[in-house]
Amino acid sequence: MMAIRELKVCLLGDTGVGKSSIVCRFVQDHFDHNISPTIGASFMTKTVPCGNELHKFLIWDTAGQERFHSLAPMYYRGSAAAVIVYDITKQDSFHTLKKWVKELKEHGPENIVMAIAGNKCDLSDIREVPLKDAKEYAESIGAVVVETSAKNAINIEELFQGISRQIPPLDPHENGNNGAIKLGRSETLAWLPGRPAATGQELSLEKTPEKSAMLPPNGLWGVKCTWEGTC
Amino acid sequence: MEGLWWEINGTVLLTEKDLGRTVVESRACSRVSLGEMSAWTMGARGLDKRGSFFKLIDTIVSEIGELKQEMVQTDVSLENGLEASKSHSMVRHKDDGYSEEKDMKTCPRDSGYDSLSSRLSILDRLLHTHPIWLQLSLSEEEAAQVLRSQPPGIFLVRKSTKMQKKVLSLRLPCEFGAPLKEFAIKESTYTFSLEGSGISFADLFRLIAFYCISRDVLPFTLKLPYAISTAKTEAQLEELAQLGLNFWSSPADNKPPNPPPPHRPPSSDGVCPASRQLCLINGVHSIKTRTPSELECSQTNGALCFINPLFLKVHSQDLSGGPKRPCTRTPNANGTERPRSPPPRPPPPAINSLHTSPQLSRAETPASMPETVNHNKHGNVALLGTKPAPIPPPRLKKQAFFLDAEGSAKTLTGGRPRPGQERPEPQEPQAPQEPEPEPGPGTAGRPGRAPPAEAPGDCTRAAGPESRPPWHGGGQRLSDMSLSTSSSDSLEFDRSMPLFGYEADTNSSLEDCEEESDQETLAPPIKSKKKRNGSFVLPKLVKSQLRKMSGVFSSFLTPEKRMVRRIAELSRDKCTYFGCLVQDYVSFLQENKECHVSSTDMLQTIRQFMTQVKNYLSQSSELDPPIESLIPEDQIDVVLEKAMHKCILKPLKGHVEAMLRDFHMADGSWKQLKENLQLVRQRNPQELGVFAPTPDFVDVEKIKVKFMTMQKMYSPEKKVMLLLRVCKLIYTVMENNSGRMYGADDFLPVLTYVIAQCDMLELDTEIEYMMELLDPSLLHGEGGYYLTSAYGALSLIKNFQEEQAARLLSSETRDTLRQWHKRRTTNRTIPSVDDFQNYLRVAFQEVNSGCTGKTLLVRPYVTTEDVCQLCAEKFKVGDPEEYSLFLFVDETWQQLAEDTYPQKIKAELHSRPQPHIFHFVYKRIKNDPYGVIFQNGEEDLTTS
Repeated sequence: MMAIRELKVCLLGDTGVGKSSIVCRFVQDHFDHNISPTIGASFMTKTVPCGNELHKFLIWDTAGQERFHSLAPMYYRGSAAAVIVYDITKQDSFHTLKKWVKELKEHGPENIVMAIAGNKCDLSDIREVPLKDAKEYAESIGAVVVETSAKNAINIEELFQGISRQIPPLDPHENGNNGAIKLGRSETLAWLPGRPAATGQELSLEKTPEKSAMLPPNGLWGVKCTWEGTC
Repeated sequence: MEGLWWEINGTVLLTEKDLGRTVVESRACSRVSLGEMSAWTMGARGLDKRGSFFKLIDTIVSEIGELKQEMVQTDVSLENGLEASKSHSMVRHKDDGYSEEKDMKTCPRDSGYDSLSSRLSILDRLLHTHPIWLQLSLSEEEAAQVLRSQPPGIFLVRKSTKMQKKVLSLRLPCEFGAPLKEFAIKESTYTFSLEGSGISFADLFRLIAFYCISRDVLPFTLKLPYAISTAKTEAQLEELAQLGLNFWSSPADNKPPNPPPPHRPPSSDGVCPASRQLCLINGVHSIKTRTPSELECSQTNGALCFINPLFLKVHSQDLSGGPKRPCTRTPNANGTERPRSPPPRPPPPAINSLHTSPQLSRAETPASMPETVNHNKHGNVALLGTKPAPIPPPRLKKQAFFLDAEGSAKTLTGGRPRPGQERPEPQEPQAPQEPEPEPGPGTAGRPGRAPPAEAPGDCTRAAGPESRPPWHGGGQRLSDMSLSTSSSDSLEFDRSMPLFGYEADTNSSLEDCEEESDQETLAPPIKSKKKRNGSFVLPKLVKSQLRKMSGVFSSFLTPEKRMVRRIAELSRDKCTYFGCLVQDYVSFLQENKECHVSSTDMLQTIRQFMTQVKNYLSQSSELDPPIESLIPEDQIDVVLEKAMHKCILKPLKGHVEAMLRDFHMADGSWKQLKENLQLVRQRNPQELGVFAPTPDFVDVEKIKVKFMTMQKMYSPEKKVMLLLRVCKLIYTVMENNSGRMYGADDFLPVLTYVIAQCDMLELDTEIEYMMELLDPSLLHGEGGYYLTSAYGALSLIKNFQEEQAARLLSSETRDTLRQWHKRRTTNRTIPSVDDFQNYLRVAFQEVNSGCTGKTLLVRPYVTTEDVCQLCAEKFKVGDPEEYSLFLFVDETWQQLAEDTYPQKIKAELHSRPQPHIFHFVYKRIKNDPYGVIFQNGEEDLTTS
């Protein structure tokens, strides 16, 4: 019996930095029978083991063009993690990345895990963003950082492993015995006892009033938990 | 002859009901002559194109039959003709025979119902008495305590907190060492099985019933408590059930007068002639006329209760080749022939049309449903273990003491424990598929069909029974079976494959969609094939061989559908708390149009209500038997959600749509959307940011059709499925023409373009309906993603203005989005014109000159740094490094960081539920002493 946690991950970054290439590479490498094909590359899933758990990443791609910027909150709402991608050959994209980080800090889910991916590291000869800059910045905001190449499949796994490690493990006692977490797909699954609610952040994302008192806030942590039978 | 007549009537009744006809109609049918029946039979045979799953089941059954000889043993006692045989643990078969016999003797003019009601199968007994043995909340210690005083073979089902699973706790005989052993029950998406066994069941009752007959992975078969296995009527069973857990300690749980039979009784084949003799004498109940192999198989079938045992008769007659022999009942000593009485096949509801018949029958199903529901309520009173042990009612005692006089016991209890309306009840547990109308005539008969009846070359069945090779010898072993199974199955499967393939790509089923909106209309022909009876289950072995055909298995939803139906029926029954709750809410909503201030408010309230009702249902005891015993745990929420859609959203759909329309008419958003749709449609794709291939006119038309289908659905999940199909189609167009993978950068613009091309105002309310009513647990998945994208695309369109074509969303859009996030119910205050994007009112505060205000052109993604620069110019500040932009809100000053966006901050302040007074002030960074003073006089700065 192994717990499957569904983790919503959103992809942010300028258009053209290779957001979807990273995901395609991540999802499609190492062919896995268990992957259920999605209908398009904007939304993909992949399950990876992490300790005693299985992390099922539900990866939400966003459109990077500025005109869609205002839609982003709908995408990162309820995310457990965000992958913010920049292009190491474009200083502008790193600037945009900083804006995203700031927006996430202000309006994103509380405790969202942030991972910075400097993509196109295969083109380091025309690099504009030094790795040092990215590392320093990532450190200052407590984010995972890695330079990737979706083209050459460099550091893609590592990126998501880094995210997995940052996701706090479930307390087995809490979800095993108290019945608060039902098995299977259920609204109560999103609720993890003892976790701060990702709600009521300054200007956005108030606690959803929709739920009755007996139900946890919807989408908290973007984490769901199901049990995989030992088939 | 008279008896035969009634028997046939009975058969017709059952089969007809299985087909979804009402009982009343069936009875009318039973008036027709035998000759006519034969005609039906012939007609029905043409429909005999059922899948060979049934064959598989037959094989399993036959194998089990070979291995287990309990049935035969039962018949030994019959042969001996001893009333003492009552002490058997396998009461069912003996009881069947015996009581039927009595019945027919004493009441030859019985309408056909009474004889049915007196036949209690093991499944019946289990269904009625689940409050006794189904003790989900019992701890291991408590279970051990209960079982300690019980004879070996007695069992409980409880939920192990350790394993987080249901377990079967079985009392072992002393020689096993431990007093009891637990067997984990595995629940897959659709089935229940014992850990380690390859045989799975549609629900817990069937599982237990099976293990009462066959040990499979158990050390021996399960045994029902004596009182339960010997009860003669449902009423008796229900009296026992009322004791609940206390049954075990009450005098009702008496022990048999004789020691129980050995666990593995020796087999004996000599019994058949005798049993057949009985039948001959009475001229009824072909069940007893079976040959030894038939007997064991059919009995096993009966115990499995995959099907109604009467179907075996129908079925086998069909095989024995003749509609022309409706009444023959030739005794045969060697038992290898099939001299069964051949009751007529049920008349096809439509002229030999496999495809249309389910429709016809479905339309009539509801008429018979209430019986089922009422019936289900009876068990409710039995509270698990909470009641003090009542003194067993006199009748119960009588039964216990005068078991041998069962004929009189039957008379005592009246033979008809229920008012006429409920008489057909026994059929329900016996053939629990009934609530689900049968797709094709006789389908139900297949699964449990006795192997002898199944010719090895059964794939020729379409050619008619007469062409079948005769049956030779014993049942086919499962191991021999696989090859022929898959081959014959593939025949049928090929035809349905395209549909499954289609479904697979969006995880949905068009058929379901159509079924939802047009329950009473004709569905695509393929439907009847898909609508199989789901209460039989295939072994894993076979499953793995048929893996490619998984589409077929996904159609095995009968227990789920049955549960949804049951809940829907319950919701219409105002005698239940649940029914009241739902009905009152639905009518309240329909009658009080003013009770919601906005569309969001209304939809949220409905969603909240559904969630609460779901919680109520999963915890209440109004569902009987408990949902856990019929639906695997990980599916319970799914099933409940579906049921909520059916009983709440279905009746409210029209109302909700009308209300949504009204709301959007009233607030002008539709008008705006309409205008903007026009604008957007005039743009070429590139102007919308589209740089990928777009769907052409034909594809757009296809998409429109899907959207229109979507409008007919009431279930938000099914609507989302259709949305996913639209997205899939868009991807196909995008990718087919370029061969690359497209992410959101490309997809979202194309989606926006497509939605604009579709030019459907109603999409707005559709999306809203889905976003607010979809099961929240689905919002993180694929459905949630594309729903979000569709909402985003519509928002872009709504806020599309010509001068913005290449620019940004207005702050108003952001507000709209944010509003959804917050799921607020309050209406946002409309910002004044100069509050809109692109302009920012900034006050300039200087120590000497006081305050001046200017409205600056500030685009949404201009940073504070840039605004400061602008201010320095406009206000002619010589030393701009000394100044910065501040936000004065809620009596506090906040210096804005260089990389913030003042317009964004403004938009967010506007979107707060309570209006805030705020000002952007350009002033010196150093906290000069005047700052404090100036704060008071600044209220009107920006408006000056």
